[in-house]
Amino acid sequence: MAIFLQLILNSIIAGSVYALVALGFNFIYGATKFFNLAHGVVAAIGGYAFFYFARILGLNIYLAVVLAIIFAGLIGYGLDKLIYLPLRKRKASNMALLVASLGAMTALQAIIAILFTSQFRTLSQNISTQKLFEVFGGVITQTQLIILLVTFLILSALALLLYKTHFGRAIRAISDDEETTRIIGINTNKIIGHVFFIGSAIAGLAGILVGFDTGIEPTMGLNLLLKGVIASIIGGVGNICGGVLGGFFLGFVENFGIWKISGEWKDAIAFALLIAFLIFRPRGIMNK
Amino acid sequence: MVVTLITIGYFLLKGSSDFSVEPIKIGVIAPMTGNTAFLGEGIRDAILLAKENLNGTKYKYEVIFEDDQLDSKLTASAVNKLISVDKVDVIITFGSGPGNVVAPIAEQRGVVHFGIASDPNVAKGNYNFIHWTPPSEENKVFVAELQRRGINKLGVFESNQQGAAAVIADLRERLKGTDIEIVTDQLFNVGEKDFRSIITKAKNSGAEIYLLMAFSPELEVLAKQIKEAGVDTPLTSIEGFELTEQVDLFEGEWYVNAADATGDFISKFSAKTGKSPTLGVANSYDIFNLVVATIEKIKGSVKPLSEEIAQEITRVKNFDGALGNLSVNEDGLVISKAAVRMIKDGEPATISSAE
Repeated sequence: MAIFLQLILNSIIAGSVYALVALGFNFIYGATKFFNLAHGVVAAIGGYAFFYFARILGLNIYLAVVLAIIFAGLIGYGLDKLIYLPLRKRKASNMALLVASLGAMTALQAIIAILFTSQFRTLSQNISTQKLFEVFGGVITQTQLIILLVTFLILSALALLLYKTHFGRAIRAISDDEETTRIIGINTNKIIGHVFFIGSAIAGLAGILVGFDTGIEPTMGLNLLLKGVIASIIGGVGNICGGVLGGFFLGFVENFGIWKISGEWKDAIAFALLIAFLIFRPRGIMNK
Repeated sequence: MVVTLITIGYFLLKGSSDFSVEPIKIGVIAPMTGNTAFLGEGIRDAILLAKENLNGTKYKYEVIFEDDQLDSKLTASAVNKLISVDKVDVIITFGSGPGNVVAPIAEQRGVVHFGIASDPNVAKGNYNFIHWTPPSEENKVFVAELQRRGINKLGVFESNQQGAAAVIADLRERLKGTDIEIVTDQLFNVGEKDFRSIITKAKNSGAEIYLLMAFSPELEVLAKQIKEAGVDTPLTSIEGFELTEQVDLFEGEWYVNAADATGDFISKFSAKTGKSPTLGVANSYDIFNLVVATIEKIKGSVKPLSEEIAQEITRVKNFDGALGNLSVNEDGLVISKAAVRMIKDGEPATISSAE
């Protein structure tokens, strides 16, 4: 029974990380309708920005977190203004945008490695002492609890933003039909720029939290992105609630999947699940 | 006219004499950047130290270093560059993964390759050799230490790579007929960072000690997550604890590793670098010296062929190296001993050596 409870807890912990990445990814996808592959590396930028502000400049941890989130948001905003917006203006296909985002991901990853070396670093070291909490016989760390709470806070905030504000209505309008939204006088490029800022800031926050939980390395973004994308597709790509649901579903399937088989098949389980969804429910759990 | 002929003749002769002293090129593939850069730096320092100590050799020796970050994909491009562009005569690699990449290429291209690797497959063929403490030696010491400590139930966390697989396969054989059993063996992929569920699976296995077979950074993340899971079972390793710079994570834990280098080598290395030798350092120093001694022994003044170098290496017996008296056996292995070590005050210390 204790194993079962701990596996549930492990699934929730892994799922909350996937969900957090999927939240930002789906938020951007919802407005732009393209797979922003640079989303993962923006998470890594968040982690490294925190490392720079807190560990190198020695700033207060909370201030460093805020600055790192803003920095990651600005990187996303910059990517949109410098790369994606010019391509959209030229009516480039989603495939061209996807390839451009792949190029951005590779370049940014290399820049991180040049600036900080490719060495793996743990953000929690010498900054905070990890507290352990016992929940129904299972163990969860302070960072993991924060990740879980942050995921639900961000989900609630995004839901409020999308459904209770003018800005949210504009995003949903762009998501339905960008051309018509522009015709009725909404500056869609400005809205998309803001969406990139918010989505990337969420990715940056995910990068910081993953850095506290395990650690950061320049290539961490790719793995986060893959799991985030799988979670998005499972839950319903572009749907923020779907992304969270997909993240937790993926976490449960992966962790219970390796209960009886070897841990080396964890990624294979995730991709098998993705293929199953692509074949039998390509629009995901939430999208009809 | 006469002056022109003399000038041409001079340059032709000069050219031919230069050809006869064409340097022997030794390519070294090691992690110079990344998580295990500290190991590659140690290997580089040891080889440069060995090169500095050369005196009155027939040939000039040139060393070319290539960084592979201990990543087999990078090893493949590094070895192709060393063979095709730099035209090296000998290649030295670090790790079973990189060694397994280079071995078939070296065999096919006829270039002598020395691996610092656990996996005996690295020494397959006529041109491939290993200088490392083989799994059989390490496991002999490891099992004896488990028995001495009265440990009967062993849990294994094993990274999915050749070196770890070779050690665990040999360990399984050695445990047959003993009272010790592997009660759980958790395999994970290189690059994995979430070990929570495999730790949960291993937690109830009743293991009295966990054997961690992983490289950095998986090793540190795994150790951290084991502690976070509230598991207080002791940890041990074969080589692993010296594959990380964060040895303090394993304070007070015993493990098995290659035996200490000679005092003379340790003092020379420390005097040059101001650091203690890390994993593979004494092996790389020995390989360089052994290769040079072998090449110098080959008769003639023209640069020897790779085939001749490889054949001469197979005849090496009782070579006085940094890791003691070394010989190349029929499988192309230069065998050195293992020792039980412990992390004490943040430093590895030998607590007992093999007979």
